[in-house]
Amino acid sequence: MTLIAALPAMGAETPVFEKDVRPILKTHCFHCHGEDGVTKGELDVRLRRFLVKGGESGPALVAGDAAGSHVLELLKSGEMPKEKKKLSDADIATIEQWIIAGAPTARPEPETLGPEHQFTEEERAWWSLQPISKPAVPDLAAKKGSHPIDAFVARTLAENHLDFSAEASPEVLIRRATFDLTGLPPTPEAVEAFAAAWKQDADAAYSEMIDSLLASTSYGERWGRHWLDVAGYADSDGYTDKDLERKHSWKYRDYVIASLNDDKPFDGFVREQLAGDEIAQLEGLNPDSPTDVEKARYAELLTATGFLRMAPDGTGAQNDLAARNACITDTLKIVSTAFYGMTVQCAECHDHRYDPITQADFYRLRAVFEPGFDPVGWRTPNNRLVSLQTKEDKAKAAEIEAEAKKIDDARLVKQEAFINEVLEKELAKRDEAIRDPLRAAYKAVVKERTPEQVALLKQHPSVEKLSAGSLYLYDTTYKTSHAATLKKMVEEATAVRATKPVVEMVQAFTEVPKKPEAVPATFLFHRGDFESPKEKVVPGDLSILAGWRTTDLPENTAALPSTGRRLALAEALTDGRHPLLARVMVNRVWMHHFGTGLVKSVADFGTLGETPSHPELLDWLASDFMENGWSLKRLHRQILTSRTWRQSSQRDAERDSVDPDNRLLSRQNKRRLEAETLRDSLLAVSGTLNPRVGGNSVPVMYSEEGQVVIGVDTTDTAGRQTGKFISLEGEEFRRSVYVQVRRSQPLELFAAFDAPDMTNANCEIRPITTVSPQSLLLMNNAGMLVHAQYFAERLLKECPKDDISAQAKRAWQLAYGRTPSDDELASAEAFVAEQIAYYRENPVKREKVVGPAEEDNAPAELMGLAALGHALMSANEFLYLD
Amino acid sequence: MISRRQFLDKGYGIGAIALASLLKEQGLLANPEVAGATPHHFDTLPKPPHHGFGKAKAMISMFMQGGPSHIDLFDPKPELTKLDGKDFPGDIKFDDAAGASREVMGSPWKFSKHGQSGTEMSELIPHMGGIADEISLIRSMHTGVNNHGQSIYALLNGTILGGRPTLGSWITYGLGSENRDLPAYVALTDPRGLPVLGVDNFSNGWLPSLYQGTVIRPKEPRILNLDPPLSLKGEAQKRYLSFVDRLNQEHLEERPGENELEARIHSFELAARMQVAAKEALDISQESEATKKLYGIDQKETEEFGTRCLIARRLVERGVRFVSLFTGNQTWDNHSSILTTLPAACKYVDKPAAALVIDLKQRGLLDSTVVHWGGEMGRLPVIQNRAGAKKGDRAKVGRDHNTYGFSMWVAGGGFKAGHVHGATDEFGHHAVDKVVNHFDYHATLLHLFGLDPKQLVYKRNGLPLGLVENPEARVVNELLA
Repeated sequence: MTLIAALPAMGAETPVFEKDVRPILKTHCFHCHGEDGVTKGELDVRLRRFLVKGGESGPALVAGDAAGSHVLELLKSGEMPKEKKKLSDADIATIEQWIIAGAPTARPEPETLGPEHQFTEEERAWWSLQPISKPAVPDLAAKKGSHPIDAFVARTLAENHLDFSAEASPEVLIRRATFDLTGLPPTPEAVEAFAAAWKQDADAAYSEMIDSLLASTSYGERWGRHWLDVAGYADSDGYTDKDLERKHSWKYRDYVIASLNDDKPFDGFVREQLAGDEIAQLEGLNPDSPTDVEKARYAELLTATGFLRMAPDGTGAQNDLAARNACITDTLKIVSTAFYGMTVQCAECHDHRYDPITQADFYRLRAVFEPGFDPVGWRTPNNRLVSLQTKEDKAKAAEIEAEAKKIDDARLVKQEAFINEVLEKELAKRDEAIRDPLRAAYKAVVKERTPEQVALLKQHPSVEKLSAGSLYLYDTTYKTSHAATLKKMVEEATAVRATKPVVEMVQAFTEVPKKPEAVPATFLFHRGDFESPKEKVVPGDLSILAGWRTTDLPENTAALPSTGRRLALAEALTDGRHPLLARVMVNRVWMHHFGTGLVKSVADFGTLGETPSHPELLDWLASDFMENGWSLKRLHRQILTSRTWRQSSQRDAERDSVDPDNRLLSRQNKRRLEAETLRDSLLAVSGTLNPRVGGNSVPVMYSEEGQVVIGVDTTDTAGRQTGKFISLEGEEFRRSVYVQVRRSQPLELFAAFDAPDMTNANCEIRPITTVSPQSLLLMNNAGMLVHAQYFAERLLKECPKDDISAQAKRAWQLAYGRTPSDDELASAEAFVAEQIAYYRENPVKREKVVGPAEEDNAPAELMGLAALGHALMSANEFLYLD
Repeated sequence: MISRRQFLDKGYGIGAIALASLLKEQGLLANPEVAGATPHHFDTLPKPPHHGFGKAKAMISMFMQGGPSHIDLFDPKPELTKLDGKDFPGDIKFDDAAGASREVMGSPWKFSKHGQSGTEMSELIPHMGGIADEISLIRSMHTGVNNHGQSIYALLNGTILGGRPTLGSWITYGLGSENRDLPAYVALTDPRGLPVLGVDNFSNGWLPSLYQGTVIRPKEPRILNLDPPLSLKGEAQKRYLSFVDRLNQEHLEERPGENELEARIHSFELAARMQVAAKEALDISQESEATKKLYGIDQKETEEFGTRCLIARRLVERGVRFVSLFTGNQTWDNHSSILTTLPAACKYVDKPAAALVIDLKQRGLLDSTVVHWGGEMGRLPVIQNRAGAKKGDRAKVGRDHNTYGFSMWVAGGGFKAGHVHGATDEFGHHAVDKVVNHFDYHATLLHLFGLDPKQLVYKRNGLPLGLVENPEARVVNELLA
């Protein structure tokens, strides 16, 4: 069965060193005995013959003699690994059997352990590092149907005596497809039209439905959010407790959404994000490019590199070497999980414990980005912003600045006069005798004051402390308004400056061009410590691939002012033969359509991850994806038109007993809505959704109760509530992908429903929790009531007044995309009637989350219907997709 | 629609569902994680301390934001009375330039000895005087950062910066909670508004949000999301819950075998239970008239704070680990008119705060509950004269900040009773004897809870960070019973 991963060799099969014993030693022993020049007790365990040779305590291995092999004794007693957990009984048994069998190796061991021998044949044979093949579609397909995906899935099902489940109903299909592709529920009209068309010609109707969903802008918003998880999108810097805001991050978010909506070929999408700046150089683009099209392309390419500026970067608040290196490491984590699906970051301090990734590999990858990061000549986040300003606009701005400066100068003159005025008033309150000396002491340059003057001033703190900064404090004493006068002049200058042409800034990743010899070098850090650099490392791809493709990357590219390293890596990744990128991406897309990837561990294609449930299907999809222009929309279409995807998600005991986790795909999976989809559904169903695409992020703030809600923060500088309310004028109803991602302030609903806060660089896979705070929120959060009230208003508007039956029916259609059963309708009508009667007896005000409270009571009809909306929106049918 | 019967016929015995839901229940309470998806596992289930000697099981902190004037309440300075009206004979660290003055002001209030310990306290806090034999009064507190924000941070999270976990978060992170139906860490805020720094006062910082202080508001509804909004109270919610349950049960019956749906139904039930548990805990009508009187709930001036103190006791009684009570924004920041503002601030809390200690003691809870009363600073021995009053006219003057020496008291949970610790200089400006820094205070608290500061850490950017990071922090043994 394909599901079972290779088990450690036990019983029948004789263990061999490379396949069975070395992986155990690598994980537990190499660190002290062999790796990185460390051979404690002079023992190296990386080869069988090294074990035979032994160390200070003599030979470690006597082939065929378990009792005489010192290494086994040490492992069994738990003396080794030193101060670590004892090896498992299974691992020790494997080693013992290997010794008893004469300690065989698969082939003669290499003479030396140079870089060319750092991997075993077994490591080189790891599935995800093999070239992507295009397996033949199983014959089975020809008989059963024409879809390649189904052919692969059907074959595995047959091997396990299972078959596909029945196709889901058209109502379920349109709901599932609409959520999958757009992150929104289908409108009742769309459901109805689809069901009607389905009766005429099911295939044509289905095909048309998928096409129209893929063509809607909501598609980019939905799938853009998936990519933003991988990229670690945030609107703040993170790392330090200040968590400074990133004002320009949203442009990268909009770039992602637009790219997906344009179905930009995925290889180009990757190249732009890794090296958009270098592509712009190659194409000769800049802010002063002659045409608008070229200017826009320049902006787009620079914005794309924002991908490399997504990692937490605390250097805006705390610019030390540790913070700089943390930012680089986090960026490498994002790059490796996004494009490699491997945990390359685990090789930062030592060779990867489980996968054939050397420590040098980590630094070879780092060398690709080193010239841009440049830890020594580090640029803080603000200094990395790139201006799109033209020369013309620059000149105009300079003129305006000169004007503002004049106002500033006048203000300084006035300020000086005010200080003198207050000084004289303070002096006038004191004995005449000390006025002159006190004035002289105050006016003296601080450093040149005599000890007597210092002492004198100390006696008169309200003179000593008088300064431009404290001037406002004396306004109370003397009933003056000097501070206000000066403030007004500051405002005047600000107003003048505000007339400067707007400077468009992009949060981009660029290199400062340098001569080849001045390009920042990358060193391997001993045990990952940036203060212990060792040998210099040159850029390159994973060295395990060296057997069958080039892994070297150029240090410099003559055609470019920058080093060209990132462009070279991007081209290697997208050359159509790289073993990881296409597999990883196809698998991610699969995960978002089925809830689980073909490889469950979407960000770990290594030995600790899971092997693919359908390896041939994965390869077929990956190669087909590349052969067909890396089109994501085509891939979605391919998946969504398969019988595999269109199955019912209904469980039955028989399938569950054979395949409880549904890895074989004999049905669809039920899925809970993600946090953003849940909120977007609330907006869509209640009819408030503001469909505006792109632009500045919708702000979040703390409410008086300390919950993070959508709104404009009006607390004062000391963090106190001022009670002021600033309307967002409909922005609060925008889709969740536009809500500000402040790492330290996740929106309450997002945090409760497992959206990532991006404090750990990025999010490879979201957890799905089921905890009571979620239920409390659905049940009792005033925000839920607010959505329900809008929902009720909509029902009252769209249905005949007083016709509760029609209103309830419409509610079901809007919330669940189906018509309620008679039973459901009857119970809903009774529920609404009871609630209306209750609210007539006990009038209440409309619920609000922000803004001034309502004055009048709400109509009982509205609140009664809102109760129904609330119930529908907090029940499982709303949260889960069939 | 599938009936209950068909549901069972589908091959899913009720036993299997019950078992699955039992397993899930555990998961529900312990924040389940998806295998391989989340690297850590966090919950608020009760956990044993690192050391067996921990006497404290819970803590109630009454945080008097603004800086109560120690020299007018807890730390008598006859020297100031002698120098009253004269120039201060030394260096002073001022905060406010325009109001700065060197004119010494002796305390306008009388001090007297209380209890067998003979602890001297001011006439402004007669009830606290009454519990002198139950508390440890620390007269040598020091943070050394002369503004509210930084000093609040120092006392609440151990650094002068925000964004870090507060004391209550650390303790609940370490020990969890004894009650599954109530939040582990509760913040009881003041109707006059949040103190300076707002919600940072009970922030979980970068600890998982599970450890954030849950606000119990000063007025109804006291708990957000735990209490239905006004429009959904009572019958309205009952009908809502039963309607949702009906929708969910029918939905589940049509989707047999989906444990996840079952689990969600359970989580709804648990949430509903929490409503009841919290309601019960917050319902002080069950208390006797005598108890309410003890807390001053029968008097207008003390009703509000008294109610919160009583709620704090009820929460701790039910297994809540940490309760913070706050007074309004800058209540104790007496820059001006101290003659009237300080007595008012004292009146608001004196009786209820003392009642809390008395009540906990008579219920046998004081031994296991730390009670803390104090602010982020004290005040200067000289007048602050922002109004420009004439010499000798003290009606409008106040006192400026002083974080170099101030007082606070602690009781119960293993602290000494009837004890006075440390001292300030003769003017009350600087702590000079047995100085207790904020980090010493934290180290001592963790010790009382049996928590090891080296083990109570959270990894961030690869570093294990904790509450007590100053290498000079020490457990103040002289304070331990």
